[in-house]
Amino acid sequence: MRHAGNVTAPDIELATHYAREFYSRRQESVRLWVVPRAEITDLSDPDLLQPPLDRTFKKPGGYVMRDKLDVAKKRAEADKKK
Amino acid sequence: MTTTDGARLPTRQLIQPDVPRFERRTLKPEARDALTGLLLTMADDEFVLGFWDSEWTGIAPLLEEDVAFSSLAQDEIGHARVWYEMLAQLTGDAADRLAFHRAPEEFQHARLLDHPRGDWAFSIARRWLYDTADAVRLAALAEASFEPLAQVVGKVIREERYHLMHMDAWLRRLAGHDGEPRQRLEAALAALAPDALTVFTPLPAEERLVDADLLSAPMVQLADRWRSDVGLVLKELGLPALPEGRPPAEGRDHSKPSESFRWLWGEFTSVARLEEGAEW
Repeated sequence: MRHAGNVTAPDIELATHYAREFYSRRQESVRLWVVPRAEITDLSDPDLLQPPLDRTFKKPGGYVMRDKLDVAKKRAEADKKK
Repeated sequence: MTTTDGARLPTRQLIQPDVPRFERRTLKPEARDALTGLLLTMADDEFVLGFWDSEWTGIAPLLEEDVAFSSLAQDEIGHARVWYEMLAQLTGDAADRLAFHRAPEEFQHARLLDHPRGDWAFSIARRWLYDTADAVRLAALAEASFEPLAQVVGKVIREERYHLMHMDAWLRRLAGHDGEPRQRLEAALAALAPDALTVFTPLPAEERLVDADLLSAPMVQLADRWRSDVGLVLKELGLPALPEGRPPAEGRDHSKPSESFRWLWGEFTSVARLEEGAEW
């Protein structure tokens, strides 16, 4: 699902017709969802979306594995030699 | 677009053909001539309406409608192309000649489509009358015994569904707003009512079409079917009923073309007349 755009229309019926004209006239869509602007809840509060404290640990790239891996490999080799 | 050796392809080769190839001999000569007559009226209806309605491009009531109405107009010209191409295959003629190189007197469009676009309510009223009539006519061809025709009709019906939806929305919108919108709509319907039945003008050889299972019923019957369809909607909206009576025999006669059609003809042939024999 992708945001295609917006249309101005007096009601949902004509909005649907216009959405069809603007976003599928050239067969670029297989389905359209048309929602009145007033029904869209806008969430843009930065405290909710962009918290100020470090959150890198929530990202897959947030962990630095290299050092831990090195330690684990050395331990494994030492165990073999025993 | 160019081919690999750099030669320029004519534009027409880039357009997907919508008319299946067929053997002209599949149809008996009488049936073929009768079908030719019917297809020419359908092609001219779509062609002329498409050009009238494209007169709204740039000046429709709101931007979105401008795009929508222009797109409907383009659809009709697309349908006209399909019918002209089928005609061309049936008769060995060329679609471009039929569209752009006939005299105004030779056109066969219904008199309903002979009026200039008028105001917005007029264009809506006219298109609503035409689209509903065209739907009845197409339905009468959907089971045609000539497979290429039935095939194309099926596709056109699928496109016309949206036209009907859009016109219904506008008719109800204008009818439902007392004051100027409704007054203008009523005036438009009153002005068009005398010509409303001309889409069903009887064709010279239509009984052959019915005999050959190409058209399911004669035009007079289709006219009744249509009148009862639109009658229900007009009644629901409290609008005056269409006048009684049969489709006029001269409903497609342009032996004396109207001033407005002469003007439109001049517009839609202007590019073709710039250079005789030019190819796109």
